Amino acid sequence: MSKWKIYTPDGVQDILFDECYSKRELENKIRNTFRAYGYYEVETPAIEFFDVFSSEVEHFPQESMVKFFDQKGRILVLRPDITVPVARVTATKNRDVKLPIKYSYIGNVFRFNEVGGGRQNEFTQAGVELLGDYSSESDAEIIAIAINILKTAGLESFQIDIGQVEFFKGLAEEAGFSNEDTVRISKLIDRKDIVGLAEIAGGYEMEDELRKLILKLPGLFGSIEVIKDLKKVTKNSRSIAALENIEEVIGILGDYGFSRYISVDFGMLKGLNYDTGIIFRGFTYGVGFPILSGGRYDNLTSSFGRDCPATGFSLGINMLMTALEKAQMPLEKPNVDSLICYKKANRKNAIEIAEALRKQAMNIETFVLTDEIQQGISYAVSKQIGGVIYIQDSGKITVHDIVNNMTKETSYNELLNK
Amino acid sequence: MRYLTIALSKGRLTDMAMELFEGIGIDCSELKSSTRKLILSDEKNKIKFFLAKPADVPTYVEYGAADIGIVGKDTILEEGRNLYEVLDLGFAACRMALAGPAELEGKIDELNIKRVGTKYPNIARNYFEKTRRESVEIIKLNGSVELAPLVGLAEVIVDLVESGRTLKENGLVVLDTIADISARMIVNRVSMKMENERIQKIINGIADQLKSMKR
Repeated sequence: MSKWKIYTPDGVQDILFDECYSKRELENKIRNTFRAYGYYEVETPAIEFFDVFSSEVEHFPQESMVKFFDQKGRILVLRPDITVPVARVTATKNRDVKLPIKYSYIGNVFRFNEVGGGRQNEFTQAGVELLGDYSSESDAEIIAIAINILKTAGLESFQIDIGQVEFFKGLAEEAGFSNEDTVRISKLIDRKDIVGLAEIAGGYEMEDELRKLILKLPGLFGSIEVIKDLKKVTKNSRSIAALENIEEVIGILGDYGFSRYISVDFGMLKGLNYDTGIIFRGFTYGVGFPILSGGRYDNLTSSFGRDCPATGFSLGINMLMTALEKAQMPLEKPNVDSLICYKKANRKNAIEIAEALRKQAMNIETFVLTDEIQQGISYAVSKQIGGVIYIQDSGKITVHDIVNNMTKETSYNELLNK
Repeated sequence: MRYLTIALSKGRLTDMAMELFEGIGIDCSELKSSTRKLILSDEKNKIKFFLAKPADVPTYVEYGAADIGIVGKDTILEEGRNLYEVLDLGFAACRMALAGPAELEGKIDELNIKRVGTKYPNIARNYFEKTRRESVEIIKLNGSVELAPLVGLAEVIVDLVESGRTLKENGLVVLDTIADISARMIVNRVSMKMENERIQKIINGIADQLKSMKR
């Protein structure tokens, strides 16, 4: 009966002391960056109705969601993302709040992923969403926050790839692709599968110049110089507007001083229904997956009943931690400053000192000796606590410096810096 | 400079892939020698190679354990990994096909196919669900798939067809072509961006070589 008792389910993990500590530190840095830009934090429930995540705009594959039923037989899911709940909030509870609204969040999300390389079925997502503004400034601000977070986290070499899906949509319109083929073609471009792309595009009559441009899309990535060349050969107004938007966004990021992190990719196409403008992804060495992704999604909130432009990004904290580990960043570790050892008879004295030191913002542990002081010292050594304070009879106090193997006598006042 | 890692499919693709890499000045001599080392390298160009089972190559590349991989389109379709498929190498060409007894020829649209024997369950499932819009029972086999319709294990099979000789000798025919297959070069999505210059140089070099081979 208890066959699975000692195991955790696939794709979830226990996060223990050191790792948990550095994760919290990282979350705090991220949270402070969010606050610095005026994005207030929200918490949405971990459990939502299935319907929330299966709108026409953002349709999470049914098989990737963790599902169960409530007492009334309605289908519930563990949230696979937090962007969609934020859109729901904007269209419902925050219906009357003046736009723009800026949200941030840090919370766990759940997906049946293939596990490994930093991917888990339960993982922590941190992100921001800016609702109610169409401007390129908003697009750029979101990317600037993402860059700042990677920098604050201590990542040195990373790259933010920016795309603009409207550029492709304009070309697809101009070429007269059917809706079905537009989706198929976008997937082939996103895979950089030129063979497959040429095959489908071959079935359509169009001007040579347009065909050339479409076939070039998988290779249109890298330096921002690409945009200039594209402006010369682009004819339809939708694609031209897309180029102007991405150019402006990159200009603004230049004002932030972030140009060196930026590259472009016009062949980056994810969800054509969901994405409506700028999209971007963050990469670094040593991790095979993007560490963050984001972009504009102006259609999502309307599926909840309020028309409202939107942009945002999210990053996987676990993925970022994998990246930091690969970049050999030293992890911050929890620590205890001193271990106070005493025998029962001196308890009152010991507790008083411990509490006084804790008030001075020190991390203090206590240890009741049933034997000689060596007992406390060996515990301190095993937990890598550098100092042991031994409270002895008639007010005698000794300090044992374990690192330098030194012992000296001290007094109550000296200990508390009085 | 970081090492670029290339995953090669063990088997019939290995020699052809090696030739292409040697053609652009990458030293594969260590790979050719019969050493037992698993990872071999060209120190001058900072490139590492390893040989893997074909079905594992897309996995290594998707996770970034290898930056570049050489593998058949059949494996790419079957594994369904999220990666860049940058180059058709053209060799090892054949096709993925639906095949069955000759008497089914021209009748597949009327036929209610129930059981499909295949080494490629994902390709078969995709084909029936997306292209034919039918539910079928997939029976995963590990070899000699042609046997399945002969002994009544399945009505039809989905398998690679090169010359069609094996099919013919067993009274089977191709009923539909699912996809054209050949060896491909695949690249990890992050590597393509972070090591763009070096990877692009390899892609272009091999593409040029393929062009001159055709002529």
